[in-house]
Amino acid sequence: MNDALQQLLDRLTALLAEKPLIGAWYTTVVRFVFPLLALMILVGAIRSLWKVKHPDEVWGYLVLRNGVRLPITHWENIIGRAPSCDVQLEYPSVSRQHAALIREDDGSWTIYDLGSKGGIKVNDLPVDEYALVEDGDTVTFAGIPAIMEPITAEEKRAQMVERRMEGKPAGMWGSLVLLTLFQILTGLQLIIAQGDKATTTIPLTFFVFTVICWAYFIVMRLFRRIGFEMETIAFFLCTLSLAVTGSTVPDELPKQLIAILMGLAIFIVLGFFLRDLTRAQKVRWFMSATAVGLLAITLLIGSSQGGAKAWLRLGPLSLQTSEIAKICYIFAGAATLDRLFNKRNLWMFIGLTAICGGCLALQNDFGTALVFFVTFLVIAYLRSGDFATIGLVCAGCFGAGMVMLTIKPHVAARFASWGHIWEDVYDKGFQQTHTLTAAASGGMIGVGAGKGWLSNLPAADTDIVFGMLCEEWGLVIAVLTILCIITLAVFAVRACRAGRSSFYTIAACAATSLLVFQTCLNVFGAVDILPFTGVTLPFVSNGGSSMLSAWGMLAFLKATDTRQNASFAVRLPSRRELRGEE
Amino acid sequence: MRKIEKRSIFCLILAALLGLGLAFFCFQFVVDGGDWASYPYNRHLYNNAGQLKGGTILDRDGDMLSTLDEDGNRIYNDDATVRRATLHAVGDKNGNIGAGALTSFADKLSGYNLLTGVYSPLGTGNSLYLTIDAYLNNVAYQALNGMNGTVGIYNYKTGEILCMVSTPTFDPANPPDIAADDPAWDGVYVNRLLSANSIPGSIFKVVTINAAIENIPDLFQRKWTCTGSVNIGGEEVTCPHAHGEQDIEEALANSCNGVFGQLAVELGGETMQKYADAAGLTKSIKVDGIQSSVGKFDFSGNDNQLAWSGVGQGQDTLCPINMLQYMGAIANGGKAAVPRLIEKSTTDYGLPTGIYYPHKSAQLIDEKTAGTIADMMHNNVIETYGQDRFPGMDICAKSGTAEVGADKSPNAWFTGFLRDEATPYAFIVLVENGGGGSSVAGTVASQVLQAAVEKAY
Repeated sequence: MNDALQQLLDRLTALLAEKPLIGAWYTTVVRFVFPLLALMILVGAIRSLWKVKHPDEVWGYLVLRNGVRLPITHWENIIGRAPSCDVQLEYPSVSRQHAALIREDDGSWTIYDLGSKGGIKVNDLPVDEYALVEDGDTVTFAGIPAIMEPITAEEKRAQMVERRMEGKPAGMWGSLVLLTLFQILTGLQLIIAQGDKATTTIPLTFFVFTVICWAYFIVMRLFRRIGFEMETIAFFLCTLSLAVTGSTVPDELPKQLIAILMGLAIFIVLGFFLRDLTRAQKVRWFMSATAVGLLAITLLIGSSQGGAKAWLRLGPLSLQTSEIAKICYIFAGAATLDRLFNKRNLWMFIGLTAICGGCLALQNDFGTALVFFVTFLVIAYLRSGDFATIGLVCAGCFGAGMVMLTIKPHVAARFASWGHIWEDVYDKGFQQTHTLTAAASGGMIGVGAGKGWLSNLPAADTDIVFGMLCEEWGLVIAVLTILCIITLAVFAVRACRAGRSSFYTIAACAATSLLVFQTCLNVFGAVDILPFTGVTLPFVSNGGSSMLSAWGMLAFLKATDTRQNASFAVRLPSRRELRGEE
Repeated sequence: MRKIEKRSIFCLILAALLGLGLAFFCFQFVVDGGDWASYPYNRHLYNNAGQLKGGTILDRDGDMLSTLDEDGNRIYNDDATVRRATLHAVGDKNGNIGAGALTSFADKLSGYNLLTGVYSPLGTGNSLYLTIDAYLNNVAYQALNGMNGTVGIYNYKTGEILCMVSTPTFDPANPPDIAADDPAWDGVYVNRLLSANSIPGSIFKVVTINAAIENIPDLFQRKWTCTGSVNIGGEEVTCPHAHGEQDIEEALANSCNGVFGQLAVELGGETMQKYADAAGLTKSIKVDGIQSSVGKFDFSGNDNQLAWSGVGQGQDTLCPINMLQYMGAIANGGKAAVPRLIEKSTTDYGLPTGIYYPHKSAQLIDEKTAGTIADMMHNNVIETYGQDRFPGMDICAKSGTAEVGADKSPNAWFTGFLRDEATPYAFIVLVENGGGGSSVAGTVASQVLQAAVEKAY
């Protein structure tokens, strides 16, 4: 089978060698077609994600004696006098932050006293710390009674209709067809660029990947899911990743394809796992332990590559464990037992960060350590809003960073050449100058996949992959790539409005911040806007571990997509619930 | 939850930073992309030997100066003398001459453009028309007659550099082996008009008199008696011979060191620095993106040093192109067009690929003072240099004989401009170790100017 295919391919390349004009014309034309296709594929997805309104979901009401119905719009609500409370009770006797009302997975509600002055009663029984609240119960906040009222099945249906109307996901089949066309043209372009060296790996890889894309869309559609913007973006970026890999090391294409498949698997598994909040919360200790364990094991028995001891070899597989640790770290950081309890207890989390950061520093992987640190800042700030503690930690890390600069001269050297790359084009500024020269060579539309020379340089498909994108694909597609990442961030932040649980919200914000910051380091490091750090570009860089982690991050985002039927990571109400039965 | 919603602005800030950085990169990409692409390691544009793969360089008349033959090898003009005369404007194959068009204008030659980058569907390489005239360069090169130096002529109304020769030079078609420390090839890769500083000697007196006219009210009523030497600040400032009694106009025509030394001291270091700065001598000029070298002036020494600086004979140096632009400003009422080198650039099919137009310099000198100085410089020609050497020209000039060391012959300078509407040219000639300014450099200037006026561009 493969032989027959190879023969066919050989015949094609022979024809191309005989008539080089065909290939030249093909490249000339598709160079203009690719940016257009990319725009058509992505603009729909990007626009749809920016436009999502994230309509409020109402889970119940607190009905006051004067008849006012206060909607309960989250799974975790702070009730109190302060305007920042989710349910505001403007009575002088109510404390600023009086109580927390929290919905469990089975739909039951629990009320917690947040050290209020006036106390809480449920059906006239004083609440010590917490108490279960059932529908129809009267909860009294410092003498202000409110009746807990569920929403009716009718309201529920009306809400679903509304959510369906307001947040209708972009149509996906058009994007998918265009993406398939993009993949076919890319495969052909790579074959033309390779000439007689082309093997069946290229067409086979792209074929399998196209099938995966279709299979994923169809299966999800069968499960009544209709939101595919994030996946479209991810599949597009993965296509670029395959193209970049095909241009630098075509032999690694199958490996990268498997990495994408595994990433997709992690995405799905993690997404399903995240549906159940209690389950997700339960494993946080396990996740902390995994993050630390992975990093520690690598430190002990890992192997070095490119100056960093960050790789764990398992037979033929080599895994950059810090990438997997990122997923676990966010999981552990976002899942706190106290949920909204305002205890501001960050020290456990700070400890976890310190251990992870220490391991990474010892591995000599400062870029990743920095990524962890920024993720830490985001999670810590979202959880506590506590500037004092975070400032303290920042100061400590700044000091540690300074010490690091003095004892690790190669890190300091990177800072020294930052902003002075053109003064030492061939040595200290080598990677950045060559990246910029190659990038400029591509213009707006690129010189064509496989036609660049940056691919011959070390780390062309990882650390300076942005330069390759610019050179071979052009500035338009390179900028679109970054816009995709920005879009994910904007989506995550806006999703907070309708966020059900703080866990989902914090995890999504942390994941997206991680993606954004890592993109900053990669892109701006390569083009000398920031010092060169050598981290990967999510979804695009060649490398299995980084692909896995990027998909993992995406799962956290998918879990915040509460549009009706959009996300598989959000449980649909069962038919029984819809009918309003008990 | 509402609190977390507010705090999530943190993520938005991160995303905004990414967006801002990206916008900044795109801005740089648009502005500097051509420069980024023009490095010899860029295999899209340069072959393995680091030679530019595409592009034709022509002079203002369309005479080919350098192009590629059918096999993709770089070739030059058929005439070996033209090749030598235009070497520093065109550049050599190996990119040793940094200010040459092959290096400095590589992006314009290669056909780089923002849309399609280096890979153009419209054939490879553009045609770049320089403002210089190969014929005039040839005349200047032969007038230099084997001596080291430079000749620059430019139109101070349009900024076009008509003649730009720098010697020593070589034939780029058959480059010689040049040992790094060979004195015969000293500074061969440097374009002496744009990229080298020299001691100005007496041509700097134009700046001193510029300052004096505006700061010494009775300047034109004064008389000086030159005995061949005057004590300033405890040491002698000497002239080649005693000039006798003279007013300021005669002092300039005689180029009397004594008078100008005293004027400089009277004006003071700060004023002298101010006028050197205002004349644009201490600032780099961008000649279509080629940065000229920056003049260095220091008037902070003692009175004797200040006196010598005032006659252009201190430690101070300037770049000839800056002096050329200053001459243009004197001729043109205080503001000259900034010198430029690119006439136009087109694709193979003649489609223009860039817009090139004159830029005005800053006000380098007051308009009224400029008129006064022009008249005095014209008087120099009548009284000292000889109008018959410049037939039919309304010429204003100043010579300079700059001492460059005890055992070396002085550098000869001759600079100035024509006041004719039809031939608004400023010129500067430097002959290293040539001897007398007027006699040696003036003769070179005479020959080149006659050729230029005859052609009247």
